[in-house]
Amino acid sequence: MNDQNPIATEDLEDLFENAPCGYVTLDAAGRISRVNATLCTWTGYSHGHFAGKRLHLFLNMAGRIYYETHIAPLLRMQGFFDEFALDLVTESGDRLAVIANASEKRTPDGALVSTRVAMIRATDRRRYERELVDAREVATTSLKSERENSELREQFIAVLGHDLRNPLASISAGARILQRSGFLQEEKELRVLDMLNSTVTRMSGLIDNVLDFARGRLGGGITLSRDANRPLEPVLEQVVDELRTVSSDRSIETNFAITEPVNCDRARIGQLVSNLIGNAMTHGAAYHPVQVGAKTEGGVFKLWVANAGEPIPAIAMERLFEPFFRGDVRSSRQGLGLGLHIASQIAQAHGGKIAVTSTSEETRFVFTMPTLP
Amino acid sequence: MNVIGRNNVHVRGSGSRAMVFAHGFGCDQNMWRFVAPEFEGNFKVVLFDHVGAGGSDLSAYDPRKYSTLSGYADDVIEIGRELDLQDAVFVGHSVSAMIGVLASLKEPGLFGRLVLVGPSARYIDDGDYVGGFTEKQIAELLEFLEDNHMGWSAAMAPSIMGNADRPELGAELTNSFCRTDPEIAKAFARVTFTSDNRADLPNVSVPTLILQCKEDIIASTEVGEFVHRQISGSRMVVLDATGHCPNLSAPREVVSAMQAFV
Repeated sequence: MNDQNPIATEDLEDLFENAPCGYVTLDAAGRISRVNATLCTWTGYSHGHFAGKRLHLFLNMAGRIYYETHIAPLLRMQGFFDEFALDLVTESGDRLAVIANASEKRTPDGALVSTRVAMIRATDRRRYERELVDAREVATTSLKSERENSELREQFIAVLGHDLRNPLASISAGARILQRSGFLQEEKELRVLDMLNSTVTRMSGLIDNVLDFARGRLGGGITLSRDANRPLEPVLEQVVDELRTVSSDRSIETNFAITEPVNCDRARIGQLVSNLIGNAMTHGAAYHPVQVGAKTEGGVFKLWVANAGEPIPAIAMERLFEPFFRGDVRSSRQGLGLGLHIASQIAQAHGGKIAVTSTSEETRFVFTMPTLP
Repeated sequence: MNVIGRNNVHVRGSGSRAMVFAHGFGCDQNMWRFVAPEFEGNFKVVLFDHVGAGGSDLSAYDPRKYSTLSGYADDVIEIGRELDLQDAVFVGHSVSAMIGVLASLKEPGLFGRLVLVGPSARYIDDGDYVGGFTEKQIAELLEFLEDNHMGWSAAMAPSIMGNADRPELGAELTNSFCRTDPEIAKAFARVTFTSDNRADLPNVSVPTLILQCKEDIIASTEVGEFVHRQISGSRMVVLDATGHCPNLSAPREVVSAMQAFV
């Protein structure tokens, strides 16, 4: 081979002095024995200024503490260190951000000969890293405050829901007394009484939803007490009857064929169907009856509620079951937007789900669950 | 997890008396690797990591408890009780010197002698008292710690926790001796460098040895002399070693000074 070794042709002295990184060599006592010209240029100090000094003198105070408490011990224990971010202080007092690596040179019997340190300029990298750290801090802080806010809000909802129950119970009891006393005779008076009952039922349903929502958010979730032995159909009939009474201007048609036992929480399924019917009455066309059906077939319990009217816009479909989501309806008919959310939670708690189809002919919610989950 | 696991406690050697080694801010019990073995012949040598450092149980890190040196001192006392130690020698480096002082005052009888390596009762200057640092410099340090993650990343954390002794992780564990969760490192730096235990020193009644290095920027000779003056009857030995970690840079000197004392 006539080719010369390329390393041999490189001027090694020049490679050291003018390398694209700073070099420092420390003697066994940790004092600087040699630096290269690159580092002198970067810092503004002469070769002679470095000689015999300790490396940490050229760092800012934070770097000195860090060097003494982390870097020096680490170097001694593992014989090298990699990727430390350090700030050199230049002659003019400016900071020069570098990333430093170092390795020890030892004799075969383990005595320290020297330590070599290489430094790469890292101003932009450090600025970028600091921005990342700052951004993370901002994100963490705002996430924390957001969580606290939302917890507070949910606690407020829970307390509010709970406190609304008692006065509502008084109103309901008052209405019952009036009804039984026979004191009200006039048709107009009786209509007021009906209205009162209807409002109480509607409001009590809203409060149930609010409390379930708050419990879900606060970690309680929907609790079930399942019972496969008692019939479900009478519960559904009762819910429909109540809704018929309170909304006498609306018609509800039912078609129930529950032939297998359904292992469910009957009161919860009652709440689910009540919420679905409530939704159909709010959004459906008034002139058309709401269809409610339930059947069991091959181990699956299926319950559906359908109404006529404008279809649900595609954009609303995606958010239908989110809490506090309310479609475009007259403000007088607006609820809290919890009915469908709670219905879907009840469905999930039963290992089931609610599917929706909506066309210009019909909007249909179908709840399915295994009869014996 | 019990105290032994929580603080990654290792007991070696034989002897009726115990010698407890406590590491300072920065690394872990590895700091004593050149010193502790020298005492295993005559002492029951106890090594541990402060919670948050080395192989300690990071899930036991309670920011409130460890916001004072007293919280760390409580751990030392718990270790002492767990191992049924009495009249032991406490060897504390850097901030652990004051942790040992606090533990000895809280639990009389636990430690019969104190060896304080590079102690400082207060790091920040205060009127006539020279601690060596200004408040601004310490604030700068806390920010600086953010820049050095010591190879710490969330992905690595699970394999680091409690696995300091597993050599198969060695290749990945660059910088592992001083690896700390950056948040904990920052909190430990804060409690260390803002501590003020000057008022506790006169209450120390057990024989105390102070080992002082030359050119120690963390704990200067002046700072060491203050500790020496305030603990009556204490002995101070100025080592030839330079820097803040004579236990690593000049272990032989440290060992012989300690042997003469214990």
